[in-house]
Amino acid sequence: MHRVLTTCCFCACGCNLYLEVDDGKLVGVIPSREHPVSRGNLCIKGWNSFEFVLHKDRLRFPLIRKNGRLEKAQWSEALDLTAAKLTQIKDKYGPDALGILSSAKCTNEENYLLMKFARAVLKTNNVDHCARLCHSSSVIGLNHAFGSGAMTNSITELAGAELILVTGSNTTEQHPQIARFIFDALERGAKLIVIDPRRIQLSRFAHVYLQPRLGTDVIWLKGMMKIIFEEKLYDDSFIRMRTENFDAFSKDLENFDLEYVEKVCGIPLEGLRRAARLYASVKRAMIIYSMGITQHISGTDNVESIANLAMLTGHVEQEFTGVGPLRGQNNVQGACDMGALPGTLSGYQDVADNDVRKKFKNLWKTELPASPGLTSIEMFDGKRIHGMFIMGENPAMSHPDINKIRAVLKEMEFLVVSDIFLTETAEYADVVLPAASFAEKDGTFTSTERRIQRVRMAIPPVGSSRPDWQIVCELSKRMNYPMEYDSPAEIMEEIALLTPIYGGVFYNRLEDEWGLFWPCPDKEHPGTPFLHKGSFARGKGHFECIDYRPPAELPDSEYPFYLTTGRMYQHWLTGSMSMRIITLVREMPEGIVEINPADAKSLGVESGEPVRVISRRGTVKVKAHITDDVPKKSVFMPFHFKETPANILTSTAFDPRAKIPEFKVCAVRIEKVQ
Amino acid sequence: MEDRLILSKEHLKSFLRKISKRHELIAPVKNSSGDTLLEAIPSLDEVTLDLKSKPVMPAKNFFLPRSEVLFKYQRKGKQYSFDEVLDDTPRILFGLRSCDLWGILFLDMIFQENFKDRYYLNRRINTVLINIGCNEPMENCFCRSTKSGPFLTHGYDLQLTDLGDKFFVEIGRPRGRELVEEWNYFFSPATKKDREHQYEMILEAESRFHQIVDMNTAISRFMNDEIDERIWDELGNRCQNCGGCAYVCPTCYCFNIVDMPLSENAGERKRIHDSCTFTGFTRLAGGYNPRHEKKRRIRRRFYHKLYYENKKHRRPSCVGCGRCVEICFGRVDMINFIKMVCERGERSLRESSLRLGEILIEAGLLNREELKNALERQASTGESLGTQLIKEGLITREGVARALGYQLKIPENAGTGGSDGK
Ligand code: SF4
Ligand code: SF4
Ligand code: SF4
Repeated sequence: MHRVLTTCCFCACGCNLYLEVDDGKLVGVIPSREHPVSRGNLCIKGWNSFEFVLHKDRLRFPLIRKNGRLEKAQWSEALDLTAAKLTQIKDKYGPDALGILSSAKCTNEENYLLMKFARAVLKTNNVDHCARLCHSSSVIGLNHAFGSGAMTNSITELAGAELILVTGSNTTEQHPQIARFIFDALERGAKLIVIDPRRIQLSRFAHVYLQPRLGTDVIWLKGMMKIIFEEKLYDDSFIRMRTENFDAFSKDLENFDLEYVEKVCGIPLEGLRRAARLYASVKRAMIIYSMGITQHISGTDNVESIANLAMLTGHVEQEFTGVGPLRGQNNVQGACDMGALPGTLSGYQDVADNDVRKKFKNLWKTELPASPGLTSIEMFDGKRIHGMFIMGENPAMSHPDINKIRAVLKEMEFLVVSDIFLTETAEYADVVLPAASFAEKDGTFTSTERRIQRVRMAIPPVGSSRPDWQIVCELSKRMNYPMEYDSPAEIMEEIALLTPIYGGVFYNRLEDEWGLFWPCPDKEHPGTPFLHKGSFARGKGHFECIDYRPPAELPDSEYPFYLTTGRMYQHWLTGSMSMRIITLVREMPEGIVEINPADAKSLGVESGEPVRVISRRGTVKVKAHITDDVPKKSVFMPFHFKETPANILTSTAFDPRAKIPEFKVCAVRIEKVQ
Repeated sequence: MEDRLILSKEHLKSFLRKISKRHELIAPVKNSSGDTLLEAIPSLDEVTLDLKSKPVMPAKNFFLPRSEVLFKYQRKGKQYSFDEVLDDTPRILFGLRSCDLWGILFLDMIFQENFKDRYYLNRRINTVLINIGCNEPMENCFCRSTKSGPFLTHGYDLQLTDLGDKFFVEIGRPRGRELVEEWNYFFSPATKKDREHQYEMILEAESRFHQIVDMNTAISRFMNDEIDERIWDELGNRCQNCGGCAYVCPTCYCFNIVDMPLSENAGERKRIHDSCTFTGFTRLAGGYNPRHEKKRRIRRRFYHKLYYENKKHRRPSCVGCGRCVEICFGRVDMINFIKMVCERGERSLRESSLRLGEILIEAGLLNREELKNALERQASTGESLGTQLIKEGLITREGVARALGYQLKIPENAGTGGSDGK
């Protein structure tokens, strides 16, 4: 038996663990004790992450659709066909008829190559990935305010904060290791504020807990700032020296009426006052937020409001302070960094910028398209895209209103999917390419704290599967643009050349000290655990005046309940991995809808009984779970389960700037199943 | 051959090299990332042995692996054929911490008491256990409180003590003696001075613990059903259901048996470690109710480790390794738990004593002076006030009962003397 140190493939905490290999098989997992985040333990998913890798359902050979059925094929056949079809569509409709979905599950190197493939080979900027669905509003909002869209500080700093404000993040369930640092901080006497429409586990430890109505975050944030402003608790010198647009912003605050807090959010003003005073009165305060903030049509507004709050009190630019958008997927930070986004090349370099394009062109030796491409939401409008390459994503489960998405996938002229299992999306494909899992390849992941870490191959690829970076190289070669790399390390060398924030990232440097924090501009640079030291990345921090916009779809007499969706601790996104891990399935075998006891009573529903959840877009039959963790007239559904897919119900309304769908609010009706 | 010997440090590798010829040698290795793991050692020259710290995982994983194939099955037509997978590799586990070795002894008992577990025992009978006493207990170690370290008095095949430039070697079970006899030229008899030196080491090590926990009080609180119920709520709220505490514990032995199909006609029956903190651990069907059950699961965990095992085997199954203390997400660990139980117990004992005292005074069974004195004495005995007063003959069971108007929970044997009231 031997052990291989690698990075966990589930969430973006970025735990390091040892995969135990015996006779070519994965037989166990050991957490790293020295790793600053894992600290000798993993969550239930990490502890069981070895199990799905050798599952019998793994795709072991390519599949090609013949006479309506997916049939076993040779690699050469599948690759030739894919290259020919992509070329054909490009020639027929132009490059922008092609769409590429990259993957936050794949390595940085793979994301980089796939975005290069889209731009240099296919000549389109239509490349995106699931960050669109989770934190695109953070990237845009924080970039606008601070000049960088990532977590400003590192995870371990949480333990040293005097106050932590958690909002829209069910941290214990989604980022267990981060919650562990919050518990550490509490142990040392830190204060905790939790503001969340669902009563989450952390709220039981909060010094102030507020339960605002869904989709009203801009109001309570503004209220909090107004209180801080009125009571003169803001950091005057910080505002003067480090920020801009405060005059307009303060006028806007003056005009804001605190009455809205109780009226719109439904929370007591006194509670908010306590929260505001607590937050403003300490030196070291951190804000942690996640999809409860971002997945709204006002997602970017929410994020900018949070940035305003941090700047108003000077809680940025220092150790133990800052704003922490908790990214979900193991490498969603990295996939964004690598430019798997329609508007930016790697390192958030604007694709519309001539100088930037020139730099890439010099190295890539080909012309690049200039106008920003389509987002992963727009790609499914059923009009513009005729051919798609989807790497390791499952929009047929993860996107809003999946009935519509599935119809589009079905109509797609040519769809190629590379994945480790035959996902709901792959079932619509014309070609399915078997990919290697995280345990079967080398590469890097970038965790939510911007820590770039190694992924190491523990076993050879299962069956005839191949790592995605090799698949991309093979396709590219067939489309007359040879990409020749011996290893992911060589790809990283190219990334470093073109990407200033990764400029000093080389594999040999990743061996010690548990990776590097970007920005790391050159070989001597030690990396940057917290951002904006001394000044913001964009120069001055920008205060944005923000007006409240209610969610796109509110309950009415026909659909009287709010539906909010999210994840559960035991499962992972669309379940293709976690539903193949015995211990996890046993923990949570099927989907549920959480209903408040009062509503359950008036519906006449008992816990465990099936109900029908109906929205304007569809119906899902699912078991009721009665709990007062959800407020009255609101229900919660996890979206992991293919038998009870919450995304049949969700609305396609999206944030106009970030194009992030409003997964967190839509209106439904609940019916008891007779 | 003597039972106490000396192995000079420069001979350690040579000795290990010899004994690894016919055995797979497993020893704690510090890797380049700084983690110490028990590893199978192919070549001694390529690794850094770490005889000072505790490996991340306990030695139990070599006998009860995280996941193991019990047998493979195949179907041909209607016929099934089975192929059992037994591991009888001869192994030497070298450099174990005393707590980990004690943990294995505990598992030995479990895996043969009702039912002899072939898979476990097959590995076990082919294994030699060599521990090294801990001169420097680590931050969260409390094996002194659980009487399973830092040095053992029996149970090992060989036990080493680090005496600076040499190891003091004690021979325990016959397997150890065989090894030493076979390679006797590495060893010399221990002198009187060596023995004294070793004894000093033990005494010093015992004085160096950072953690001292009162197992006995905790256990007696369990026995007397005196645990403050709110503790379970609190701990239940803090547990994040990771399963880590069971995975890393040297004495947790629960497993789940599953069939894993490999294809249409073949598959494996496996067992994988399980954890009593999981929702699915006892749930049979249907009901999902995480919050409600979490406190019960935590309760079960501590009941099991401290009460049931103690009742059945006369010792709690915690060996004081401190791993759960290091790794728990919410400080739902053994040390914290015992501290909570002891502190809370005292407080609630005192509160209830005061209440009882007031009632007895009101009933005219006791005066204030007597109550004060009784409470003072009670602080040293730790008994409940009622039991104490009865034992001292100041009042009777019936007297107390009458005063309270209901039957008190006082043990029958808590003394019978004294007159009826006062
Ligand atoms: S899922 Fe996240 S918290 Fe759990 S082990 Fe993996 S990285 Fe750590
Ligand atoms: S280690 Fe702690 S958090 Fe994890 S299951 Fe055990 S008690 Fe719960
Ligand atoms: S309960 Fe905790 S301290 Fe005790 S043996 Fe198990 S892991 Fe070690």
